[in-house]
Amino acid sequence: MSILVEISENLQRGKAKVVKELVQQAIDQGIPVEQILNEGLLSGMSIIGEKFKNNEVYVPEVLVAARAMNQGTQLLKPLMAAAGVKAVGKVCIGTVQGDLHDIGKNLVKMMLEGKGLEVVDLGTDVSAETFVNTAIEQNCQIICCSALLTTTMNVMEDVVKKATEAGIRDKVTIMIGGAPVSDDYCKKIGADIYTSDAASAADAAVNVCS
Amino acid sequence: MTNRERAINLLHYKPVDRLPAVHFGYWSELLTEWAEQGKIPKRLAEGGSRDGSTNDAELDRIIGWDFNWNHTVSGRIGLMPGFEKKVLEVLEDGTQRVQSHSGIIERITPGVVSIPSEDDYLLKDRTAFEELYKPKMQFKPERINLEYFKKFNETRPQDIPVGLHLGSVLGDIRSMVSVLGMSYLLYDEDEELFADIVDTYAEMQYKCAEAVLETGAKFDFAHFWEDICFKNGPLLSPDVFAELCAKHYKKRCDLCHRYGIDVISLDCDGVTELLLPTWFENGVNTMFPIEVGVWGDQFEPARKKFGTGMLGVGGMDKTALRKDKAAVDAEIERMRRLANMGGFIPCPDHRLMPGTKFELVQYYAEEIKKIRI
Repeated sequence: MSILVEISENLQRGKAKVVKELVQQAIDQGIPVEQILNEGLLSGMSIIGEKFKNNEVYVPEVLVAARAMNQGTQLLKPLMAAAGVKAVGKVCIGTVQGDLHDIGKNLVKMMLEGKGLEVVDLGTDVSAETFVNTAIEQNCQIICCSALLTTTMNVMEDVVKKATEAGIRDKVTIMIGGAPVSDDYCKKIGADIYTSDAASAADAAVNVCS
Repeated sequence: MTNRERAINLLHYKPVDRLPAVHFGYWSELLTEWAEQGKIPKRLAEGGSRDGSTNDAELDRIIGWDFNWNHTVSGRIGLMPGFEKKVLEVLEDGTQRVQSHSGIIERITPGVVSIPSEDDYLLKDRTAFEELYKPKMQFKPERINLEYFKKFNETRPQDIPVGLHLGSVLGDIRSMVSVLGMSYLLYDEDEELFADIVDTYAEMQYKCAEAVLETGAKFDFAHFWEDICFKNGPLLSPDVFAELCAKHYKKRCDLCHRYGIDVISLDCDGVTELLLPTWFENGVNTMFPIEVGVWGDQFEPARKKFGTGMLGVGGMDKTALRKDKAAVDAEIERMRRLANMGGFIPCPDHRLMPGTKFELVQYYAEEIKKIRI
């Protein structure tokens, strides 16, 4: 079995320590950084994402796989810039103002990173202005807003309005998700994309950026 | 008929004169809103409305509810003593890192009303379990107020159903270690430790239920709390859930059956479908609160799959109570259809949230009581 397949398989099993060791071995063997990233780490996360969409694995498997991926990417990051490896795209993400619950947001972040996207994590309780200003300042192609509560989901509409006021509405895609959010709600507030799960969100984001 | 008789009859497919108006409490912010609007006395908003409390009963009278399904009693079935709640750190933006009674570290922003963000947790390894948690998970006689339960049959409300709270097999543990911690322990770091935690905690809760029942106290139903599902289903694999938890549900449900309790409800938010087999096959037979509005959970498919043994309390889309009369009427009609199946009591599908219109709640309570089945 090639070391890249081993990385992918151990990542899928959430074996963070093993993944870290294997990535280091792959670097030491002179395997190109981009190949380790794509055929090892991202390949593993992609399989986990598909299985998550199909209810073959659940939230814990995604969380441990993402932790394993992070262990691997920590080793690769310093080498990626030198090797000219670029992210697929750039996204800013956060839970909307008034909402502190961030499990869903963190899952989406992990899935986005698992697809090779660069993610600016704004954390929780993020105002509409912060989403829009970050998108402008950091040149993000996508804003991802998460809400758990019906009482806070209205902030998503504010993000759409602020993006329009700032003149970036045609340059940035606004994706929304969370427990009370639906496709109908997405259309109603003029956002661009709603997905029902984290893996589908990552797929949609990749489509936007490519 | 009393509301107690109505509830018991409905869940045993026996005749009733009318449906009871049943609810599942309120967000405290809603009570503040209603107090500011002059709908309820300020003292009720300030004092809070714990399920089954005198404030809850007074709100029932003001609004027109018959009772709160979540009116349950128990011994002290949590960590004893709980951890001291304390602020560990205040961040630059005012966000506090707070250690909760369960030992989880949460991020709380003052003035923001939300389920907090889970930041860290104490229960990370066997040493933390053995030294910090295990002593708090032991059964001790002082967990049970024997005098209260010996007089319970005389002192309890006679006209509404009251349940015995059986605790939680996995939900409480998740609250101690966070979803992240549960995932790391269970899937990578120490699966055996996680099972030990579940077993230790479950044994204590079983002994608490047993001690209460041995006093002769009688209950109309028994009740679990879990909250282990979300929008897309369970938070963990149904097979892993069954392996860890099935035996504990069975043990506690068998105990209840021996004491004549045949209605055992379980409160779980989110879409519960994939965990229902574990619950139902091990004695839990009443879904609650069946969150259709926010999460899209449903009762009818469960009834179809498990038959008339599957009962339900809940299922009314509470978001209609923030809209208008037409939305409420549509829900009432849907509730009429579900209630006509038998073995089902309509109830808003979770606690009423800010923005809920007082008059619509009164209207719903009034109209649901007009339904004869």
